[in-house]
Amino acid sequence: MTDLALRYSRRTPRHEVQVSVPQGAVTHVHLPDDDAKAHLVTAMLKARAEPGEELELFGESTAGLGMRQREKVRGRIGAVSPIVGLITNLNAWENISLPAAYHGAPPLPEVAQLAHDVLAAFGAEPRYFFARVPDELGTLERKIASFIRLLVAAPELMVFDALEDGLSYAECRYAARFEAEYRARQPQGTVLYVDTKEES
Amino acid sequence: MLPQALREVEGGVKLSLNVAVRLPKLVRPPIFESFLRQVYFTGVTAATGVILRACALGVIIIAVMMNMLDADVDLAVKILLLLVFRELGPLAAAVVVILRTGTAVSAEMAIMRVSGQTRALRYLGIDLYDYLVLPRVAGIMLATAALTFYVQFLAVLGGLVLSPFIIEASFDELTGRFFDLFTPVDCYYSVVKSLLFGFVVAASCCWHGLNPPDLTQNAVPKVVTKAVMQSMMLVLAVNAVFAYLVFGILFFGLIKANV
Repeated sequence: MTDLALRYSRRTPRHEVQVSVPQGAVTHVHLPDDDAKAHLVTAMLKARAEPGEELELFGESTAGLGMRQREKVRGRIGAVSPIVGLITNLNAWENISLPAAYHGAPPLPEVAQLAHDVLAAFGAEPRYFFARVPDELGTLERKIASFIRLLVAAPELMVFDALEDGLSYAECRYAARFEAEYRARQPQGTVLYVDTKEES
Repeated sequence: MLPQALREVEGGVKLSLNVAVRLPKLVRPPIFESFLRQVYFTGVTAATGVILRACALGVIIIAVMMNMLDADVDLAVKILLLLVFRELGPLAAAVVVILRTGTAVSAEMAIMRVSGQTRALRYLGIDLYDYLVLPRVAGIMLATAALTFYVQFLAVLGGLVLSPFIIEASFDELTGRFFDLFTPVDCYYSVVKSLLFGFVVAASCCWHGLNPPDLTQNAVPKVVTKAVMQSMMLVLAVNAVFAYLVFGILFFGLIKANV
């Protein structure tokens, strides 16, 4: 039996949501509406289920987790999501390096190297990219900055929440690079795409 | 009304304790950078704007008093020390800090809260008190003390230099009398009071910024209004209580204004 990175269920009068994500797999989840999506992503990011929800992360129920254990589980999850946006009064580099600078690890030169590598993959010029605040960045660039900020923490479960939302047709070509860049650094990692669109 | 007031008092006490406990974290790079930015914004950029106003403050107070009280050199200097140095200097600096920094901090924090940026910080494992509150409170306290000293210096200098044009007294005479009356207590008093002013302004603005009445854009102006009004009231209350404690009952009245 495959270990699950995530098992989630939520029952409401309108619908029932059941999500199972095997560890190491790439899973696409299509939810009925934005509210259901927000609940799922928030539950994962908080590592806590609200009433009416059940949540297991990395094979463990989050119901009985203490504060420290919950914090640890949260550290294993990253989400490129509108819920975890950039800080508007910091430029892109300050946004990317903030968690590392605050927690004291990894060292900033390492963060800078990683950021340069990822930006090179997306064809962005680092100095120009780093100097701009989020309001001066395009939608794709904001997603790239969020993504790099997450990569620094090397999450085991990477959630892409409505990754293509707000991107032009041309920019959607770059969407696949997110997964490739994540895979290159976390070969055993789990990838979860969440959106509200129905599959055609 | 009363539950809201109690909630604000409780929040203010919690915020103060949190800041005190977390003070050692100020050396962490992003927190220290934020602290320096706050000091620069509150202290340095505000300094140029107060030069003329501070100089005018000393002169206007003396000129008005001269006309009303028909004062001599002794009274002019006493007014300068008691009113301008001890009371109006710190108050003027506090007003500048409330209008410039208090509004900015409360609006910035309310916008961060409303737009979900504080939530993003939490998900990144960054404590809001560490990253948002601590550097602002510490920065505003330090900058308020510096700005107070600056305003006092300019107001007294303005008063001493320009008063001879209004009253019959020389600059030397005024300066000599000023230093006769001036005691170190005046200095400590101003520093401690301005630090307290800075603290209540920063704490009030941070608390209101992080606790908007609702999570809509409409909450931002409401937050700013509340923060500014409460900061002003707290500054006046601290001023009254502090003056009473220091010159009224503290050490059984042993410390007295040297006038």
